[in-house]
Amino acid sequence: MKKTSKFILEALLVVIAILFLSPIYIMIVNSFKTRSELYENALALPSSFSFEYYAQAMQKMNFLTAFGNSLFVTLISLLFIVVLASMTAWMLVRSNNRLSQIIFMVLVSTMLIPFQTLMMPLMQVMGWIGNTLHIPMLNTHGGLIFMNVGFHASMAVFLYHGFIKSVPIALEEAATLDGCTKFGVFWRIVFPMLKTITITVAILDVIMMWNDYLLPSLTLSDKGLRTIPLSTFYFFGEFTIVWNLAMAGLVLSIIPVVIFYFIAQKHIIKGVAEGAVK
Amino acid sequence: MTNVKRFISIMISSVMLLTILAACGGNNTNNGGSNGEGGSQKLPKISLFQSKVEIADQLEAMAKKYKEETGNEIEVWGSAGDNYLTQLQAKLNAGEGPTIFGVQPGAETNKFKSYYYDMSNESYIKNIAPNMDVKIDDKNIGVPIGVEGFGFVYNKDLVDPAKITDLASFKAFLEESKAKGINGFSLSQEAYFLIGHILNTPFALQADPVAFIEKLNKGEVKMADTKEFQEFGQFMEAIRDLAKNPLEVTYDTQMGDFATGKTAIVHQGNWSYGMLQDYKDINASMMAMPLAGNTKLAVDIPGIWVINNKASADQIKAANAFLEWLYNSETGKNIIVNEFKFIPAMTNIETKDLDPLSQAVSEATVSGNTIPWALTHFPQGIIQNDLAPVTQEFFLNKSMTGAQLLQKLDEVWAKAPKQ
Amino acid sequence: MNASKNRAWYALFTLPLLTIFSIVVLIPFAIGIYYSFISWDGIPANPKVFVGFDNYVHIFQDERFMKSAWLTIKFTFLALIIVNVMGLALSLLVTSKLRTSNIARTLFFMPNLIGGLILGYIWKFIFTDVFKYVGENTGMGGVFFNWLLNPDYALYAIAVVFAWQMAGYTMIIYIAGIQGIPDDMMEAAKVDGANAWHRLTKIIFPLLMPSFTICLFLTLSGAFKIFDVNLSLTGGGPINSTEMFAMNIFNEIFGYSRYGIGQAKAIVFFVIVAVVTLVQVYITKKREVQM
Repeated sequence: MKKTSKFILEALLVVIAILFLSPIYIMIVNSFKTRSELYENALALPSSFSFEYYAQAMQKMNFLTAFGNSLFVTLISLLFIVVLASMTAWMLVRSNNRLSQIIFMVLVSTMLIPFQTLMMPLMQVMGWIGNTLHIPMLNTHGGLIFMNVGFHASMAVFLYHGFIKSVPIALEEAATLDGCTKFGVFWRIVFPMLKTITITVAILDVIMMWNDYLLPSLTLSDKGLRTIPLSTFYFFGEFTIVWNLAMAGLVLSIIPVVIFYFIAQKHIIKGVAEGAVK
Repeated sequence: MTNVKRFISIMISSVMLLTILAACGGNNTNNGGSNGEGGSQKLPKISLFQSKVEIADQLEAMAKKYKEETGNEIEVWGSAGDNYLTQLQAKLNAGEGPTIFGVQPGAETNKFKSYYYDMSNESYIKNIAPNMDVKIDDKNIGVPIGVEGFGFVYNKDLVDPAKITDLASFKAFLEESKAKGINGFSLSQEAYFLIGHILNTPFALQADPVAFIEKLNKGEVKMADTKEFQEFGQFMEAIRDLAKNPLEVTYDTQMGDFATGKTAIVHQGNWSYGMLQDYKDINASMMAMPLAGNTKLAVDIPGIWVINNKASADQIKAANAFLEWLYNSETGKNIIVNEFKFIPAMTNIETKDLDPLSQAVSEATVSGNTIPWALTHFPQGIIQNDLAPVTQEFFLNKSMTGAQLLQKLDEVWAKAPKQ
Repeated sequence: MNASKNRAWYALFTLPLLTIFSIVVLIPFAIGIYYSFISWDGIPANPKVFVGFDNYVHIFQDERFMKSAWLTIKFTFLALIIVNVMGLALSLLVTSKLRTSNIARTLFFMPNLIGGLILGYIWKFIFTDVFKYVGENTGMGGVFFNWLLNPDYALYAIAVVFAWQMAGYTMIIYIAGIQGIPDDMMEAAKVDGANAWHRLTKIIFPLLMPSFTICLFLTLSGAFKIFDVNLSLTGGGPINSTEMFAMNIFNEIFGYSRYGIGQAKAIVFFVIVAVVTLVQVYITKKREVQM
């Protein structure tokens, strides 16, 4: 009985996985095809698996520079988000007063604003900071990181907020009695216990920032600053796409994230033996 | 107290971190004007922003060449085609607009009109071909990128243009093709290719298209009451009833079907030739849409370069120097014709080795056998937002007549916002 | 003394983030509210005219906006259910003791990595080519046809793509929640003779409440703001049958160049959505178990 149900689950998983992967299959096979091959049949295997389009895409995208830029922007933004959001969320949970509730609600509700309505005023504010305070926010990686932190902060706070409650408060109180400052309590006691959710935040934010096109497209102009999504613009005309290069570029750009995810997820999954459903 | 000390040290370190971030970005923006070697009067670095992804590579190569020849720098900003106006608007809002940028003549040019530097006295303006200049308040505000044209692009092996001269012969051709298992005519699902371009013909055939559009905006005339439009409605009916549903066709498949001989005629422009070649070398040419006796291709300027008047005086000077180089130097002229593959709108640039579609457009231009792009004067956003949905309905609802299509087009036109 | 010290700590922990957040989100949003009272085309050099509540009055007469708002609500409701049922099911599947769990976890997550526009274009192939092919060859033409050409089905097509993308996303959060459930609790329940269903409904679900809160909210906000997939998959068509809220605003601002009206639309919709979702967050938060 147990064995058969397990077998069924196992089979189910495989079937779902195949269905899930079909669009990715389309992406990969078409990164090897010419336009006319794709026109003949978008689903068929390519006539040859030559990596010429990958080489072309890499060269056009200036891949190494773009990769370095994306890596820098994503990681530094993530660092700030994790540090600042976890601290904020912890304070909001532990000092559960009116002010904290209001701050939390403001953070959460602004997640509902479509970016399209914020972008013009945002650009005005950033332009103003550049012109009057002489801190270059536009056309710099620093400015983009600053904006990334601002836009992704609320979701990170939201995620941390939900999980901090599962950290037993007794531990914190004991540490405080031992003479730890709040700072010490947070970094020595609380933060290590938030590992699972920190990795979750990291995964979700890394994908969003790594793939983001719109915000960088508004703020970065110089060629040397382009992130990976920006550098794929060559492949997107107004009415058509250079399919093979666009798909190849996409495959190239998601490989690092897949690797990152594969490593990161191992840290949030407990040993296989302790699964939840048996 | 140790706590207070720690508090202060943390504050300081976080401020420092942010400063470092801003500073490391700062390096990137400043490296423009610092290297003063080379020519005696080095011009400041300028930027160029435009929407044609197809020439992005060539523009970058051009920037390199420009630097080699003159020592001056021009940075080409990149944008995916449909994101261009958003980016341009955002950058202007931040006060970080490009020095030179591209806009479409007509409504789009009007929208950004407070940014144009008056080019009237610049030398590169003098060579613009007759009727190809773009003026606001009698001032030359832009220099045309080139000339483009659209019409019936046909496969010479399948179509004899002399036999398609009016609605009746067009219909007969569609029926004949259908009997042979060929799709006679194809539009495609993208708003401009579905209705924008083809609707241009009845507008352009009016005595004064711009005045007609103004009257239409005011509700003084109706498409449904105008002769050319009535015939246009019948054309659309014929296309719906006798050819493949354009909503099932993308620009990609339209070109593929045409290149492989499955479609005989497509409504397209000379810009599509590059894509056509991705499929197959084909014997193609372009003819006029034979609506109400029309024998002319729709030829006009797809875009102009303008100089941002908010740029510094030095940058404007540099921008003028660049345009001068592009339109008057041999290298520049060569780039326009052979690299960008544009049909020049200049009298001092000769065309040669044009592809067959551009050849047809160029010949029409030379002989004056053209109608204008009236659609650039349509109210902003109307093709995408209002006209396309109505046309989709027309192609999905077989019982809707051409006259009803016109009525609906009139209706949404009346409702659409006009600036 | 102690109180002021606490206040200093509070400021130290929250202010850095709140400052950045204010500059990037709150101030631009406030400027946006101001713009909803003016008539402007979005070009900085062009005049801005104060028009009071005209823009707000205008949008309530805008049938197309009302239709698009209703459509968005319908879509969000649909997406909410599909995404979370799928996300939860997947997370339970991949945290159970199966040989394929590890690889499946990565596979389910992959769709997330294909951002925005390309995703829509890939699915366009599926709906136009694959669906047609399957329909013609299996005789199930009633289900498998080009959904994108049918005004009644096009919205479901977007929901399918959205679910495909978001299910893996919520799965991650549910996994984090499931991993947070103490093992001894499950063991104790097992010893007490609780069967799988009971363990699921009496232990796992209540303890997953924080994850539910988060996932429901993230799906809600994602669905309300959907733009990229909308644009690349259907472009709002056919016949405006899938023009959702963000797209309607975008068309207003960048298509018609009516910046003030677009902003007013955004504010109205934001208020409605914020009330709905905050109620949702409030309700689910109340049901969370504090340890």
